[in-house]
Amino acid sequence: MALVNVTINGVQVQAENGALLIEVAKQNGIEIPAFCYYEGMSLQAACRMCLVEVEKAPKLMAGCTLPVAEGMVVRTESEPVVKARKTTLEFLLSNHPLDCPVCDKGGECELQDMTFKYGVGESRFTEIKQHVPEKQWSPVVFYDAPRCILCYRCVRVCNEGMGVGALGVSYRGVNAEIIPSNGDHLECDECGSCIDICPVGSLTSGIYRYKTRPWEMEHVGTVCTHCSNGCKTTLGVRNNEIVRGNNRDKSGINGEFLCVKGRYAFDFTQHPERLQTPLIRNAAGELEEASWSRALKLVAEKFKALAGPDFGVIGSTRTTNEENYLLQKFARTALGTASIDHHRTGDVVTLIDSLSGKTGQLATAEDLYTSKAVLVVASDLSQQQPLLANKIRANVRHHKAAVYTVTPGPVREDKIARKAIRIAEADSLAGVEQLREALSKEAELVIIYGDAIQGEKVRQLVAFGESLGIPVKYVALVDYANSRGALDMGLLPDLGPGYHATAPGRSLQQMLDDPKLAALWVVGSNPLKGGKSLASTNAFVVVQDLFLTETAQRADVVLPAASAYEKNGTVTNVCGQVQRLKKGIETVGSKADLAIIGLLARGMGVNLGKVDADAIFAEIAASVPGYNQLPMPVILTGGAVQTHPVNGGVPPSSVPGIIASARDTLFTTGSLTRYSKILNEVLEKPGALYS
Amino acid sequence: MANSISEILGSAAAIAKGMSVTLKEMMSPTVTEDYPDAPAKFQERYRGVHVLQRDEAGLEKCVACFLCAAACPSNCIYIEADENTEKKRISGGERYASVYNIDYSRCIFCGFCVEACPTDAITHGHQFEIASYNTSTLIYRKEQMLVNIAPNVKAPALPVETTGGH
Ligand code: SF4
Ligand code: SF4
Ligand code: SF4
Ligand code: SF4
Ligand code: SF4
Ligand code: FES
Repeated sequence: MALVNVTINGVQVQAENGALLIEVAKQNGIEIPAFCYYEGMSLQAACRMCLVEVEKAPKLMAGCTLPVAEGMVVRTESEPVVKARKTTLEFLLSNHPLDCPVCDKGGECELQDMTFKYGVGESRFTEIKQHVPEKQWSPVVFYDAPRCILCYRCVRVCNEGMGVGALGVSYRGVNAEIIPSNGDHLECDECGSCIDICPVGSLTSGIYRYKTRPWEMEHVGTVCTHCSNGCKTTLGVRNNEIVRGNNRDKSGINGEFLCVKGRYAFDFTQHPERLQTPLIRNAAGELEEASWSRALKLVAEKFKALAGPDFGVIGSTRTTNEENYLLQKFARTALGTASIDHHRTGDVVTLIDSLSGKTGQLATAEDLYTSKAVLVVASDLSQQQPLLANKIRANVRHHKAAVYTVTPGPVREDKIARKAIRIAEADSLAGVEQLREALSKEAELVIIYGDAIQGEKVRQLVAFGESLGIPVKYVALVDYANSRGALDMGLLPDLGPGYHATAPGRSLQQMLDDPKLAALWVVGSNPLKGGKSLASTNAFVVVQDLFLTETAQRADVVLPAASAYEKNGTVTNVCGQVQRLKKGIETVGSKADLAIIGLLARGMGVNLGKVDADAIFAEIAASVPGYNQLPMPVILTGGAVQTHPVNGGVPPSSVPGIIASARDTLFTTGSLTRYSKILNEVLEKPGALYS
Repeated sequence: MANSISEILGSAAAIAKGMSVTLKEMMSPTVTEDYPDAPAKFQERYRGVHVLQRDEAGLEKCVACFLCAAACPSNCIYIEADENTEKKRISGGERYASVYNIDYSRCIFCGFCVEACPTDAITHGHQFEIASYNTSTLIYRKEQMLVNIAPNVKAPALPVETTGGH
């Protein structure tokens, strides 16, 4: 686009023709105050805070909607502008309550900041303020009408950003207020984006409500532990308690986005049923509280006695890469078994094999925002992969991307899709084939597929993609925070770290079904969920978990483990992007899985080297393909880097394993979310997939 | 001779001058405190141990805004906030301090907290005898600093919905 010359406050700057003045000013270090303008959202021009003086224009102009043009001369600090701002603020405050001392926004309120910087400090309005009682719209969203400045940010973020459209404005003048979807309450994604984006304390969070103040908290940037998308969430920590989650600094791959789980479902850490001490099955057959030293001694002795090929190890989709790596190393060396597996939720392995010899064909979350076209196969993205769905919506809004869906039932993406194909999951590939003509006309494409596409079907899908004659990237969808990391680190019965062939052992199902299994060690997983049982009745079972899950109830020893918010390490998201976890709170009674593995090794007299997250990561970086060239400074400073675990073929598997997504919805993700009080409260409708 | 006479007169004058000051001071009221035999007297604005105030209805004035804690240079105020409910109303605002501690082993009686308080909930009282052999007794809880409910007030008495325009 052509560049034009614009003069702002006497300084000549160059800008793209037609760019918004407010953005041009910002790029040149000049602040034009604004409430309703929000980067990435549609323009509203509702607040008049951004008024500026433009030469030759008869009146002050709204900088947030003004495209710059050649020769434009703008003043942002002249007397009329300063006066206009003062008046705007005086009006905004005319019915605004003096609530700052009790308002949850106090200390990080844009209206406070603006009034401090640009306001008059006094009001000429002496009329009694009109009071409206605060309303609770849902367990997580409260609305205080008198504090609302009607900037429409919440309306726009819900409609455009979330694709939900649960908020609107009703009534006029001093009575105007925001109205939720169901008249007096909300039925929506409960994502809290509206609360986050509200410049004032009008929309407040049910979980953070009146707990503390922004400056009293420590803000710890870590990665959400719920789904595989890997959103950065900044935990507000006070007195070793997490009191809120958000991502206002827009760091990480998710920008400001968080779904209901990332924003609110940290409360499982405080759940009363959280295990705080080891449990040992006593002579009477009951689990009984025991000291760490007794439990560790018992487990180490038993492990030493039972080590061998009949030892089964089931790893986790939530523990860190370091923990997964150490677990399989410990199992393959010290325990002498090849029976290692985890709950597999998507076929990443075949994708990597199908793409062998090619580079740059694994898409990142960012690719979903920039790619000109996206094809969604057999997944209800908005429910199962909230961030990826959000990226696609933003892509459509900002870049007019072409979206295609091939799903068994209606999905939210249909509304923005060029073409939506309704077809049973088993026939997905036939549905994809119907799109051949349209897809081959696109300039580029990202294909994302759910667990219905596995094995041979992945190869067929990749063959389809490669036959289109356009650059195609892929995402194999998985469920959990470190599902991908579990695969990369070799929690598989026939593949070690970096998908290298190892001696074959039992798959997860084979371990459960084998009556000869001598011992089963389950780290952060719940394979007996849903009434399944262990065929080997005599197996010595050790479970490391946060809660007494179905599997833990069968255990001989239960060791209480720390959650992702209570430890350091790295996780790898669905797109293979490695990010760093930062410890938010200390645990009481429980220990990180890494520490537990280290203590068990010591108890068995096995030397695993230095057992701390950094040392193990260094070992991973030295030995696992794809993790060896990660730019550490980026990861250490909270960035995300994509790995390409192998670039050769993956050896074919001889061990039959099951790949099945748990088909979680927006309000559930495995066993952790069962222990989130807030998620259980907002479960208005169980939110079935494809409905 | 003349010299010694003037010397005597000079000395007498000097003594008289000195004695006149003494006599004058003897007549003026005492300023020395008789503490600890008699109770100490204070200027109104003396900054002693804090007092947490109540409003006319007997509700606590503190709304747990944390501004005193933010202003405190020695970081000795600790607050935990909670929400008033219909059943349990402690303060006049939406929020109240469920825990309010001041650590007097660190307080420097600067008065910044009093200055910062938007509801005039925290003030300085005149209590100053808080020396202790055990520093842990120097952490005062809300209950120790809160004024008693005046005998003629039945509290809590405010309606649950606060009215606007405050
Ligand atoms: S919204 Fe901002 S200005 Fe209004 S009461 Fe809350 S903190 Fe104060
Ligand atoms: S919580 Fe999310 S989905 Fe619900 S109204 Fe707010 S922005 Fe919309
Ligand atoms: S509730 Fe907040 S975001 Fe929504 S219009 Fe009012 S001030 Fe703006
Ligand atoms: S989309 Fe996934 S990673 Fe992001 S906040 Fe939600 S559950 Fe967490
Ligand atoms: S008087 Fe000063 S040091 Fe003492 S609590 Fe108040 S602000 Fe802190
Ligand atoms: S920012 Fe321009 S009118 Fe609100």
